[in-house]
Amino acid sequence: MSDALVDSRPPSARSWWRGGSPGLRLARHSLGLVALAVLLVPFADLAIHTRDPWGELGRMAAGLAWPAWGALESPFAALGLTVAVALWGTLAGVVLGFPLALLFARSRLVRAACAFVRAIHELFWALLFLQVFGLSALTALAALAIPYAGIFAKVYAEILEQTPRAPRDALPPGSGRLARFVYAELPLAWSQLAAYTRYRFECGLRASVLLGFVGLPTLGFHLETAFREGRYHEAGALLWLFYLLIASLPWWGHKRLIPLLLVGGVWLLGPWPSVDGALLWRFVSEDIWPAALLVGDWAGLFEWLARVPALGPAIGNTLLLGLLGSVGALLVALMLWPLASRHFGNRATRLAGHGVLIFLRSTPELMLAFVFLLLLGPSLLPAWLALALHNGALIAFLVARHADAITPGMPGLTASGRLAYELLPRVYPGLLALLYYRAEVILRETAILGMLGVATLGFYIEEGFDYLMFDVAFFLLLITAALNIAVDALSRRLRPREAPLDDPCVR
Amino acid sequence: MVGEQRRLLIRFEGEDLGQGAHVVLPRLTLALHEGERVALLGQSGAGKSTLLAELRRRLGGQAAWCPQHHGLVPQLAVYHNVFMGRLPEHSALANLWNLVRPLRGPWREVAALCDELGLAGLMRRPVGELSGGQRQRVAIARALYQARPLFLGDEPVASVDPHQALRLLDLIDSRHTTSVVALHQRELALSHFDRVWGLRDGRLAIDARADALTLAELDALYPDAAEPNRRPPPDGSDAAMPSPEALPCARGRP
Repeated sequence: MSDALVDSRPPSARSWWRGGSPGLRLARHSLGLVALAVLLVPFADLAIHTRDPWGELGRMAAGLAWPAWGALESPFAALGLTVAVALWGTLAGVVLGFPLALLFARSRLVRAACAFVRAIHELFWALLFLQVFGLSALTALAALAIPYAGIFAKVYAEILEQTPRAPRDALPPGSGRLARFVYAELPLAWSQLAAYTRYRFECGLRASVLLGFVGLPTLGFHLETAFREGRYHEAGALLWLFYLLIASLPWWGHKRLIPLLLVGGVWLLGPWPSVDGALLWRFVSEDIWPAALLVGDWAGLFEWLARVPALGPAIGNTLLLGLLGSVGALLVALMLWPLASRHFGNRATRLAGHGVLIFLRSTPELMLAFVFLLLLGPSLLPAWLALALHNGALIAFLVARHADAITPGMPGLTASGRLAYELLPRVYPGLLALLYYRAEVILRETAILGMLGVATLGFYIEEGFDYLMFDVAFFLLLITAALNIAVDALSRRLRPREAPLDDPCVR
Repeated sequence: MVGEQRRLLIRFEGEDLGQGAHVVLPRLTLALHEGERVALLGQSGAGKSTLLAELRRRLGGQAAWCPQHHGLVPQLAVYHNVFMGRLPEHSALANLWNLVRPLRGPWREVAALCDELGLAGLMRRPVGELSGGQRQRVAIARALYQARPLFLGDEPVASVDPHQALRLLDLIDSRHTTSVVALHQRELALSHFDRVWGLRDGRLAIDARADALTLAELDALYPDAAEPNRRPPPDGSDAAMPSPEALPCARGRP
């Protein structure tokens, strides 16, 4: 770069490429990521297995356009259960996670335990608890509460750590630990804690819908059945119900109404299962461990390990899909964000752009993947599309919001000039940082998409549970968690430092 | 001299003061006697806050403390912020309950204090909704509520007008036998205090009785001021750039 400054000739392509400015570093970084994805695409199974995907898509669109409201059986019970599970699951997560947040900075054990429970997706937890508690509300609540406790512990601890120190330092010497906390720390962090809890509740609502895919009678259960049986008009009505539920959250989720909803929810959650302590203990102490390990037979353990089905390809597929999904999300976000930004287009295009983004980001990945799977058949392609579209739209929405806060310094530029010179250089570091935050989420979703029939780890985990091979399923769950923790650590290292994200509600 | 017979509270003899390994005030020699009213002058960054922090550390429970930039909790009511001055004197349970429902005794005492400071009627208002001058008075009220013999203030009258500054200093004097107050108003230092400590470049450049000093001598503490008679520059660097700790949301700090 310094050569180029002294030299009056335009820099050659090579020396331009070698520059050390942050923009060039990010460009190299992103292109490296895309190149890696392109290199690995041939290894992915992207075949289309269905005969007439476009016709099927047309029938689904017709179903969404003309929903059959009358065909729904007791939609309100499903809606109520969905909300009750999300509310109580989130509340239990708060109750478990808050004390852990206070220990988070001090205890390595707590940090490790939280990282572990976070790394396993809600649906996998549900599959695990399903074996013990059956198809009951207890399964649903535990499936939400346990991973959320880990997430709350981490995020609450980060928020509390960042409260200003000045009020704490101003306290007279000898103020007790509890008094210091409730007077000079908690009030300063309160609004952020509340905002994050609210955001997590929204995530819980989506997860609660998805619990239907493992058989709990929430909205997702009815959706899956309707889709599978090709009753698209009924599925359309259910989807609209879901969007209405999410969109009307600010009204029915008002903080004055929450206690009422909590009390009402208790009635919908029942009946509670009777838990057999001995059975539970047997499950935890014997069933989920390989028999060879329990008796200390090492040779037998290796044999057992060799019999675990398709471990290598499953891990490979999971990582590959995670990478493809992340790169796809990057490209989708780059293409979509200008649609929703005030700097481009006219009122109509912006409205349409906002609509597309809201539609894509409020539909859970699993649901998108499920629909694409019906269209395209079981390969990595539907999963890839779902991950890229959902996460890309989410990032695009946040980037557009960031861009809207920017006032261009040079008025009157053409749209392309504005994009390339004014806005993209400013928002791109943030975009990439968001992508790295999402990479961990994308990998977690990747594993779960296996439950739909894509050959990632989730496929074999569900198979293990189906055939009552709990030891294999649990082993694969541990592998999934380890992969997630590793990818999280990696993405934290690769994340651009130029754009610190101060809003925890983006993860 | 009367001051010589007074009880010695603190003496530094050639000590290095600073944060950790970073020495701000090397080889400081200084004494503080009971009954003295000391004005602490010096440019931003001269070491005023370091000296006050060390005094606070050594005096412990004897000193009431009014920090720079107030150190208030904006979300809590004026009453609760003032109450925080006496947190150690109540049980943890009483402190908790007080957040739900103010304790009767403290409420009366804080109300009396607020009346004197012109904060009457604001006791239930969150501090975040108050003006700069009102916050300043809340910070002083919290220090007064501690009811200690000594007052240590880091620019406690920086954001009020000169008349109010005078009234507030009178109030502080009436409630404490000894005080050390960091200031920027040199005229106030000469008219209202017994003694002046002037810091410059990490040295105690002035340690003298206020009646033996002139404004011109104090000007020497502010080498950056272009003209000797101009007011010293306000504490611009500190005010414009709060420490990263004080920012409400400083995620991504290394």
